[in-house]
Amino acid sequence: MEITKKDRRIVTAVWVTGFFVLWELLAFLIQFVMRVPMANTKIPYFHTVVGTIAQNWQSLLKDSAITFSRAAIGFALGAAVGIILSIIMSLSKMVEKIAFPYLIISQMIPILGLAPILFNIVRDMDTARTIIAAYITFFPVSVNMLSGLKSVEQEKKDLLYSIATNKFNIYYKLMIPASLPYLFTGLKITAPMAVTASILVDMLGSSSGIGVELLYSLYSSSTDVFWAAVTASAILGIFSYYVIVFIEKLSLPYKKNMPQKGADSQ
Amino acid sequence: MSSAGIQIRDLSMTYNGKSGEPITALQNINFDIREGEFISLLGPSGCGKTTLLRIIADLLKPSSGDISILGKTPREIRLQQKYGIVFQSPVLYDWRTVRRNICMPMEIMKIPKKERTARITKMLEVVGLEDFGYKYPFELSGGMQQRVGIARALALDPDFLLMDEPFSALDEFTREKLNEDLLNIWSKDKKTVIFVTHNIPEAVFLSDRVVVLSPHPGRVSAIVDIDLPRPRKNALREEAIFYEYVAKIRKSFEGV
Repeated sequence: MEITKKDRRIVTAVWVTGFFVLWELLAFLIQFVMRVPMANTKIPYFHTVVGTIAQNWQSLLKDSAITFSRAAIGFALGAAVGIILSIIMSLSKMVEKIAFPYLIISQMIPILGLAPILFNIVRDMDTARTIIAAYITFFPVSVNMLSGLKSVEQEKKDLLYSIATNKFNIYYKLMIPASLPYLFTGLKITAPMAVTASILVDMLGSSSGIGVELLYSLYSSSTDVFWAAVTASAILGIFSYYVIVFIEKLSLPYKKNMPQKGADSQ
Repeated sequence: MSSAGIQIRDLSMTYNGKSGEPITALQNINFDIREGEFISLLGPSGCGKTTLLRIIADLLKPSSGDISILGKTPREIRLQQKYGIVFQSPVLYDWRTVRRNICMPMEIMKIPKKERTARITKMLEVVGLEDFGYKYPFELSGGMQQRVGIARALALDPDFLLMDEPFSALDEFTREKLNEDLLNIWSKDKKTVIFVTHNIPEAVFLSDRVVVLSPHPGRVSAIVDIDLPRPRKNALREEAIFYEYVAKIRKSFEGV
């Protein structure tokens, strides 16, 4: 069924109010019904968190910006690597068969373990952070883009083949534009993941970033600040997702109002 | 017969089926196509008509036999960009507007921009889509999309036009309308057209000659000259002589 603009506004309104009510209810429950000791240091009321955000908005914004910009660099790098990998794999079946198991293995290594090792090797927080964000990005991007490249109908290729089009133009004019909806699916999945990775690396001994804020507030039991930082992190993740959605809308105008195909189902 | 046009000699095509057994798609095909002729390859599914067209287009390699097009191989003809092709589905590029879809092959053939723009405008007029140049394919009906595919092939001004069941996915009304339109377009410069179809009236209406193919294995079972006057209008479909041709071709399928 078609979702109208008005419906969408209702959804947003219900979602926001629901979120607020549920949080307040939960805080109330653990404090007065379950009687958890020192409940307000575990889950404080949402309105007190909002208060904390309002008080600390400058430092939160600064740290968010630092974390986000580092995530963005790593994300861009990872996306580029992922795209190039997928193109190489689509050019040669053999490369795909050889490379794919390595790619799968790379995804089996827990980031939590990899990050300190990597940090010890490169000895630079920013480099480590960029690499980790890129590392987490490249695989979903690559896999999505590859399935996009493989989904191009044979007749579309035949038409270009019929006028003796070279490989470069086949990719430039057909394969890559046709795969963009798939690519954006990959980017939408990975953008928030890159932010998460960046926050994680913050916590491994960085001097700035939203992850540091999270860590310090935990050590100093300032729960309000912790939840404020968590909220800021969540907003960062959501923001990164919508940045990609925005770019997608700009670069794929033909998808507007087009009957949705499999490409966009996540 | 001169070396002009297309000569098909002892052409056979065998490929391996799902369980590895050899399947003969085409067996000993022999016939000539004259320059400027509108010829149809007609037959039921499985008769190899599309396979034959794809071999002429150098999209498939035959198992044995030869094809000579203007004295050259299909590969040479393809590399010289001498033919335009229209498929069963419109094969439009979703991310390009109608104009830019028609433009795509011309970009690849490095036709100057000014020339491209002029040809696009002209072709949109020819296929009756002047008002739809800046629409995206998904905004068009099936019949309009197929017209864009035809305009795109014609815009190349090719020596040959290969058409693989271009109207088979359309309803009867749209099909008949487009049949007549196609003849109008063709009558202007009489390019050689090879038109694949499984629809007998369509083949009779359009063609100078109909090559009737039979399945299992695909082979030429008859070649029928259609001596109907041109220009042909859809009213022709009601005339007795038209029925006679349809009946004659239908009969050639009997006993297959």
